[in-house]
Amino acid sequence: MHILLAEDDPLLGDGLRAGLRQLGFQVDWVQSGDAAERELRAQTYVAAVLDLGLPRRDGMDVLAAVRAAGVATPVLVLTARDAVPDRIRGLDAGADDYVVKPVDLHELAARLRALVRRAHGQPRDRLAAGDVELDPAGRTVRKAGAQVALSTREFDLLHALMLNANRVMTREQLEQHLYSWGQEVESNAVEVHVHNLRRKLGSALIQTVRGVGYVLPDPGRA
Amino acid sequence: MRRAAPSLQVRLLGLMFGVLAALWAATLALTLSDTRHELDELLDAHLAQSAALLLVRDADADDDIETPAAPILHRYAPRVAFQVWRDGRLVLRSANAPGQPFGPTAARDGFSTYGEEETRWRVFGAYDVAHRRQVYVGERLGARTEILSAVLRGVSWPLALALPVLGLATWWTVRRGLAPLRALGQALAVRSPDALAPVPLDGMFAEMLPLAASLNDLLRRIAHLLESERRFTADAAHELRTPVAAIRVQAQVARAATDDAARAHALDGLLAGCDRAARLIDQLLTLARLEAAQAPDMADVDLAGLVRDVMAQLAPAALAKGQEIELDAPPACAVRGNALLLAVLVRNLVDNAVRYAPSGAAILVRLRRERNEVVLDVEDGGPGLEEAELARLGERFYRVPGSAAAGSGLGWSIVRRIAAAHGARVAVRRGARLGGLAVAVAFTAAGPG
Repeated sequence: MHILLAEDDPLLGDGLRAGLRQLGFQVDWVQSGDAAERELRAQTYVAAVLDLGLPRRDGMDVLAAVRAAGVATPVLVLTARDAVPDRIRGLDAGADDYVVKPVDLHELAARLRALVRRAHGQPRDRLAAGDVELDPAGRTVRKAGAQVALSTREFDLLHALMLNANRVMTREQLEQHLYSWGQEVESNAVEVHVHNLRRKLGSALIQTVRGVGYVLPDPGRA
Repeated sequence: MRRAAPSLQVRLLGLMFGVLAALWAATLALTLSDTRHELDELLDAHLAQSAALLLVRDADADDDIETPAAPILHRYAPRVAFQVWRDGRLVLRSANAPGQPFGPTAARDGFSTYGEEETRWRVFGAYDVAHRRQVYVGERLGARTEILSAVLRGVSWPLALALPVLGLATWWTVRRGLAPLRALGQALAVRSPDALAPVPLDGMFAEMLPLAASLNDLLRRIAHLLESERRFTADAAHELRTPVAAIRVQAQVARAATDDAARAHALDGLLAGCDRAARLIDQLLTLARLEAAQAPDMADVDLAGLVRDVMAQLAPAALAKGQEIELDAPPACAVRGNALLLAVLVRNLVDNAVRYAPSGAAILVRLRRERNEVVLDVEDGGPGLEEAELARLGERFYRVPGSAAAGSGLGWSIVRRIAAAHGARVAVRRGARLGGLAVAVAFTAAGPG
């Protein structure tokens, strides 16, 4: 899952980026309100962690601006402002979750997964398509009950396709899910990962829409 | 117990009645003296006229009539009396006139008085040279007083009757006139304590305007104070929680790290977070002590030596960043102050320069005498600050946006506070020499000029 982290504190930002990466997220880190708004408007993230006390542009302003611009990306506000009016204002401004510092990394990750799940209309934490089951928290995939070993990128790709079941994903969209800034995107990487997923989980799982992209059909979710 | 507050309404009423009473008394006195004067003139003229009539009439009278007493024909008559004398003999008199001459016997015209206290007469004497006759016409002085008091009664009654009516009317007027004041009082009384909206000045009376304006000013200042307190709490929460959050996250990262480099990085972050939290706590404590402190003990302090000591402590940090740090100061320079607080101030200023100026930048500290002031300049070759940022500097927890160095902005509050305790002025501007931030603190010099 590719998320945006907007946090001006160098120490906390560094820690959050490292910690969330450990937990399987692709993290892009910005340190100012301007940059946060620009990145959110690009809509390439499945979720964002937003600090409110950002320099140049307050987090609350950023949130209101991108919501007004129609950006639907789930936003988790991570802030030291714990007063109830602040929480209310944050949620009303368009935050999907409001977490007060300090926060446990695992809780933060779980909340982010929940946000992403809800944003994709998934009622349950575990995703399923046919006999394939994906557990985002444990980062495990089972086929017919048996665990299948996947690489990080393969897992992320499958996760993205399952979250967007029945929707055709272009190669660019999938690449955005797989890579954060500074990571080299190998050409035809997506094709390679899809090939591997089909090999490990069955060729019928992912279908190719020629010239457009890939889709994971889920008859259970019309 | 508090004494009942004096009432403006009672005061107004009292003043109005006082003035009214004085005016009425003056009017009455004037009327009386005027009336007495007119009455005297009128009645004196009457006496003179009566005397003239008697002279004319008596000229033809039979001289042989033996001093008959004229009858009293009117109830007012006993107050008037007359005598007619010829050649020293009383030929005619009214019944109430005395037997001896009524006035001076000198043969001439004029007014005089006759008799003792209670029965005093005002007498006009007239002399007829041709017939050698002397006529006296007298009038009881008491009669005049009676007329006067009758006039006084006539004037006083309506005034006395008008008094309660006037009082009521005045009370109503004053009450009605003061109604806006009461309305303002009630409007303020029913406000909720945290309603700090200004009192509307539209339609306010001119006399109440300064009061309401001052009140609004006060309300605005309280609102500002509350807002800054609220912001302080919010900012303090941010400043205190962020290092803790960072420490926690770095610790979690360190624990979960699978390779040594990542773990070492996280542990470094952990230590940096602890240092920052410790520094923040130090600053908060300093600030709290400054706020709680009464007037600090003051003595003559050699600021030059003090700055030298502080810079000696901070120089290693600057040299580690590759910064050039320089002090330009006279051998000794005394100011009146508290050495401990001054050291905190200097350390904050220099430490600030070391932290915020980039590696390789110059830091110049200067101490100089200007007339009766000692000015401490701390200038750095850093990026400096924009106008808006300069203006906000010194607000607690205001950290310059985008500044990479870890700081809370508390240092500025501390500097300002210590400067204020010493009556020193702090000026912040863009440095003329190095182009970065320049801070000047001007102290009053101690000792002889």
